[in-house]
Amino acid sequence: MSDSPLLEVRGLSITATRSTITTGTDLTLRRGESIAIVGESGSGKSLTAKAIARLLPPGVTATGSIRYDGHDVLSLPEKEMRPLRGRRISMLLQDPFTMMNPLMRCGKHIEEMLRGDPRFAGRAAMRAEVARRLAEVGIADPDVADRMPFQLSGGMAQRVAIASSLARDPELLIADEPSTALDVTTQAEIMKLLKRVQLARGMSLILITHDLRLAFSTCDRIHVLYAGSLLEVGSAPAVQRDPFHPYTLGLLLSEPPADRRVPKLIAIRGQVPRADAVAGRCAFADRCDWAQDNCRAGKPPLAALETTRLTACIRRTEIAGEMRALRDTALEAAAAVREAKAAPAIIRVTRAVKTFGAHRGRSVRALKGVSIEVRPGESVGLVGESGSGKTTLGRILVGLETATEGSININDVDASQFSALSPEDRAKVRRTIQMVFQDPYSTLNPRHSVRRALREAIGTGGPAALATVDQRIAELLKEVGLPENYADRRPQSLSGGERQRVAIARALSVNPKVLVCDEPVSALDVSVQAQILNLFKRLQAELGLSYLFITHDLAVVRQIADRIYVLYLGEIVEEGPTEEVMRNPQHPYTRRLLDSAPR
Amino acid sequence: MMREGVAGLILRRIAVAIPLLFLISLGVFALVHIAPGDPVRALLGTRASDPETLNNLREKYHLNDPFIVQYGKWLWQVLQGDLGRSINGNRKVWNAIAERGSITIALSLLGTAIVLVFGIGLGMIAAFKRGTRIDRAMVMFGVFGISSPAFVTGIFLLYFFGVVLGWFPTFGAGDRNFVDRLWHLTLPALALALSVMAIVVKITRAAMIEELDKDYVTFARARGLSATRITFAYVLRNALIPVITAAGIVVVGLLASAIYVEVTFALPGLGSLTVDAVQKRDIPLIQGTTLVFSCFVVAINLIIDVVYTLIDPRIRFGKVES
Amino acid sequence: MTAVTEPARGRKRSLNLSLALCFTLMAVVIVCAIFRSSIAPDSPFTQRLEVGDKPPSAEFVAGTDLLGRDVLSRTIHGARTALVGPIIVAAGAFAIATILGLLSGYLGGWVDTVIMRWVDFMLALPGILVAIVVVGVIGGGYWTAVAVLIILFTAPDTRIVRSAVLEQRPLPYIDAARSLGISKRRILFIHILPNILPLVLAYVALDFAFALVNLAGLSFLGLGVEPGTPDWGRMLFENRNILFTNPLGLLLPAGMIILTAVSMNLIGDWLFERLTK
Repeated sequence: MSDSPLLEVRGLSITATRSTITTGTDLTLRRGESIAIVGESGSGKSLTAKAIARLLPPGVTATGSIRYDGHDVLSLPEKEMRPLRGRRISMLLQDPFTMMNPLMRCGKHIEEMLRGDPRFAGRAAMRAEVARRLAEVGIADPDVADRMPFQLSGGMAQRVAIASSLARDPELLIADEPSTALDVTTQAEIMKLLKRVQLARGMSLILITHDLRLAFSTCDRIHVLYAGSLLEVGSAPAVQRDPFHPYTLGLLLSEPPADRRVPKLIAIRGQVPRADAVAGRCAFADRCDWAQDNCRAGKPPLAALETTRLTACIRRTEIAGEMRALRDTALEAAAAVREAKAAPAIIRVTRAVKTFGAHRGRSVRALKGVSIEVRPGESVGLVGESGSGKTTLGRILVGLETATEGSININDVDASQFSALSPEDRAKVRRTIQMVFQDPYSTLNPRHSVRRALREAIGTGGPAALATVDQRIAELLKEVGLPENYADRRPQSLSGGERQRVAIARALSVNPKVLVCDEPVSALDVSVQAQILNLFKRLQAELGLSYLFITHDLAVVRQIADRIYVLYLGEIVEEGPTEEVMRNPQHPYTRRLLDSAPR
Repeated sequence: MMREGVAGLILRRIAVAIPLLFLISLGVFALVHIAPGDPVRALLGTRASDPETLNNLREKYHLNDPFIVQYGKWLWQVLQGDLGRSINGNRKVWNAIAERGSITIALSLLGTAIVLVFGIGLGMIAAFKRGTRIDRAMVMFGVFGISSPAFVTGIFLLYFFGVVLGWFPTFGAGDRNFVDRLWHLTLPALALALSVMAIVVKITRAAMIEELDKDYVTFARARGLSATRITFAYVLRNALIPVITAAGIVVVGLLASAIYVEVTFALPGLGSLTVDAVQKRDIPLIQGTTLVFSCFVVAINLIIDVVYTLIDPRIRFGKVES
Repeated sequence: MTAVTEPARGRKRSLNLSLALCFTLMAVVIVCAIFRSSIAPDSPFTQRLEVGDKPPSAEFVAGTDLLGRDVLSRTIHGARTALVGPIIVAAGAFAIATILGLLSGYLGGWVDTVIMRWVDFMLALPGILVAIVVVGVIGGGYWTAVAVLIILFTAPDTRIVRSAVLEQRPLPYIDAARSLGISKRRILFIHILPNILPLVLAYVALDFAFALVNLAGLSFLGLGVEPGTPDWGRMLFENRNILFTNPLGLLLPAGMIILTAVSMNLIGDWLFERLTK
C-alpha cells in the first residue's frame, strides 16, 4: 500500500476561456518524494500546482485525471475537497506578505488551523503548541506569535507561513516559488528549512520554480515544463549531468555558471511562446538548433528512453553527442581577464554617505561612507542584497539622488551636487554616464514609439545631433540587435527582452563612456537573460564602454565584471578582481553570499 | 506603548479639526459682508428703516469696527451659545435650530442604518456573485442610485408610494407618536438612503472583489479553512478598510441629501430651515444653521478618522525589524 | 524573478447594449440642446393662465404646468442648461486640477504641502451646503452656481490627478528622462500628462454627471437658474404643487435628470475600465 504512488496525474490539460495553458501533463509522486516542476513564465507551472489542490481561479478549467491516494480530485464536490486541503494537501505561495492576512497576528495564522482539536482546547495549550510550531521553522522567540506579518522581515514571515501551511500535518506540500521573493541569503535558509522539514516529517514535496539549479539541489526528480508541455522528466542528478532535451540544456547553459567565467553564454534565441501558438508540434522547435521538419509535424510525446528518464525530444539519440559537445565548450573557462588600462578613473566616489528622511525623525543611512572607482573600459560589479545601498549609489551617479556627504567625481567634473553644476558641466556629465533600469515593462514611456523615445534622447545633444537623427536611430537599433523596422513600434508590442534592448539603445544614444546597469536582467526570463548579458559583453568590446553592474546575482556578476565591490548595509566589505574574490572570499558576508547560491 | 501612539494620533486629528472650525466660522461670519449691498441691509432684510435705526443697528452689530474685531466679538458670542436673532420673527436662532434638530437627526440615523445594512450587504452579495446577472443588476442599481439625487428619488418615491399607492404620507414629520414618526420618515429616509447607498454598494463591491483575488484568500483556501471564516475574518475585514475610508464621503453625501429630502417631503427639519433661511436672505439664521451643520460634519469626519486609525493596525504599529 | 507580464492584447471591442443606449440617449439630449426651438412643439414661455395645470392631452402631450406652459417643450428646452453648465464645471474643474495636480505630484516639497492642505480643507467642508449658502447669499443664479461648483470640484479632482501623477513619477521611464537631462516642463507635459490623460477623461465624464445633479439640485431649491427659465431642476421646483394634477410635470424632468446622469456615469465607468488595463 505504501508503495503505490501518493499522487498520480494523467493527461492534465488546463485551459482558460480562450487559450490553452497546459496540454497532457503526467506526473507521479510517491510518499516522501520531492519533485520539481521547472519552467519559465507562461509554462503553466503555477496553474498546474493550483489544479492539483483544486484552487484554480474562476475561468480556468482542468481536464484529465488527478488521483490523490485513490481520490479523484477533479470530480470531488467542494464539500469533500475541503477536508483534503490543509490536512492532506497544503500549499505555500511566493510572497509571505501577500500570502498572510495583513490584519491578523502571526500566531493566529497557526491557531486558526488548530481550532477544534481537543488537544489544544485551552489557551495555554494552544499557545504552547503555536510556540512549538514556530520553533520547528526556526523561530525561537514565542513573542513572534503576537506580531503582525508586516512587522517581520521577509525571511521570518515566510517561516511563519510555512508553519501555518504545515499546521495540520499534511502529507503533501506544494510550494510555488517559495523563495523567489526573498533575498539571496534568505532564499538559501528557507530552502534548507523546507528540505529539513520535509525529511523530518516524511512529507512529499512539489516544488514549483524557474530556477533549475534550485530544483537540482532540493528535489529528487525534475519535470521540465515549457509553453504548457512537459519536455523532460528524470532524476535530478541524472538530468543535471546529462540533460536529454535541448531546452533543458539551453536552460542550464543560459544560467550563468557561478563557479567560472565563460567567454559567451549560450542564449536561446527568440522568446517563450504561448501554448496555443505551438499547438500540434514540438513546443520548442522554433528556438531549437536541432529542429527538423518532423519535429513540427506533430506533437512529440513524452517517451521513456531509460526506465526513469523521459524526454519529448524525438531526436535525442541522434543529437546526444552534439549536445554534450556544446555543453563542454560552453562551460570552458574563459581566458584570464584583460587588465584594465592604467588610465585615471573616470568615476571616482570618495566616502559617499546618503541619509534618507533625516528631517522626519526616523532616518535611514543607505550609504555609510562608500568609495569606489571605475576606470575607462573596465567593467565593475557592485554586489549586494536589498538594503545594501547599491541602487542608491547607482542613482547618485546619474543625478537622480544627491549624496549627503562625500565627493563624486565623474570625468573630471565634481558632480557631488548635480544642481550646482554649470549647464556645460552638467551636460558633460550626462553624456558620460547613463543608466539602464531593472524593470523592462516600465522603462519605456508606453505612449511613445521607439523612434520617439530615441529621438528625444538623441535630441539632448542639441540641434546638431538631430540633423542625422534617423540614421542614428537605425545605427542604435542595429547596435542592440533589433531590426530597423522596430523604430515605429510601441512598447506594448515588444517583449521584455526587446524593451530592455531599446532601453539600452536609449542609454547609448548620447555616446556615454559609462553605463550604470541596475539589475538589468533580473526581471527577464532566464533564456532571455543570457541574450542580454551577451549583448552587454559585445557592446563593451565594440564600444569600449565601462560598466558599473549592480546586481545581487553572483553568477551574473562573474560573467560580466572584471572587478567587484561587495556591499553590505551601506558599506563595502570586500573588493578586488572578480575571480580572486569569488575563489577566495575574505569577509564572512561574502562567504555567506557565495554559499547561498545554489550550485 | 501602543496606547500612547493611538492617543497621540487622535490628539493630532483633533488638533487639525480646530483650525478647520475656525476657518469655517470665519467664512460663515464673512457671509454678512459678501452679500451684495450694505451689511446693515442684509441684517435688516426688507424692513424699511430710518437712519437712526440703521445707526443703532450698526452699533449693535459692531459694523463700524474693523473686520477682525467684528469677527472676534461675534465668535465670542457664538462660543457662549448666542447665535443671534433671526431677521424674520426675531426669534433666537438657537431655539429655531434646537427644535428642528431632532427631526434631522432622526432622519439621518434612519437613513444611515439603511445605508450601512443594505449598502454593505448588497455589495457583498454582488462581489460573491461576480459576473452573474445578480451582480450586473446590483451594479446597475448602483449606477442609478448615484445618478439619482435624493430630490429626484424623493419625487419618484413620493409619487408611486405616496400618491398612487397611498401607502405613506407625502409630507410632514408625524407628531403623534413614535410609530407615526417612523411612518412619516420612511419614504424620506429611503430617498435619502438610496442615493448614498449606491456609493456604498459600489465601494464595498469593488473592495471585496479586490480582496477576493488576493493571495491570502488562495492560501487560506489551500489550508482548508471554512468559507465562513475566509469571508469574514479575511475578506470582509480587509475590505472594510477602504469602505470606512469612504465613509467620510458618505456622511457628507447623506447630509446634503438630507437637505433636499426635507424640502421635497416638507419635513420641518434643520435642512429645510437652512434652505428657507437662504431663500429669505435671513443672514443670522443662515450663519447659525451653517455653523451647526459644519460642526456636525467636522465632528463626524473626526470620529471616522479615529475609527479608521483604530482598526488599521498598520497605522498603529510601526515596522519592526527582526 | 519570473513574474513577467504578458504584453497587452487587444481589448474586446464590442459595445454592449446598455452602453449603446447611453450613447444614444446622450445624442438625443445633445440634439435637443442644440436644435431645441426646431424640435419643441411649442414655445416654453407661452403662459395660458386660463388653462392652468392639466394632464396630458392631444394638444399637450405631457400636459401643462401651473402657468399653462407646455411641459414637453420646457423639458426639451431644458436640455441646454443640463449640458452647458455641467460641461463647463467638469472641464473647468479638471483643467485647474490638472495643473495643480501635476505641480503638486511632481514637484513635491512645499508646493505639494500647500496645495494638499488647501485640498484637505476643501474636502472637509460640506460642499453642497457651502454651494447652497454661497449661491443663495451672493445671488447671481446659474453662473454663480457654475463658478462655485468649479471651485468645489477642483479639490477632489486635484487629489485624483495628483495620485495619478504619483503613480507615474517613480517609474523608470521618468528616471531615464531625468538622467538624460530632459527639462521638468517637458517631463510633465510630454511624458506624464499623456499617460494620465485617459484616466482624467474618464473622471471628467463622472464629474459631468455629478455636476448635472448638483446644478439641478440648486435650481430645485430656487437658487440656480432665473425664474421662468426652462430647466429640469427648476421645473421640479415649480411643479411641486401639481403633483396630483399633472405628475408628468415632475416625472418628466426628474426622469431626464436620472437618465442623463446614468448615461454619463456608465460612459465614465466604461472609459475608466478601458483605460486602466
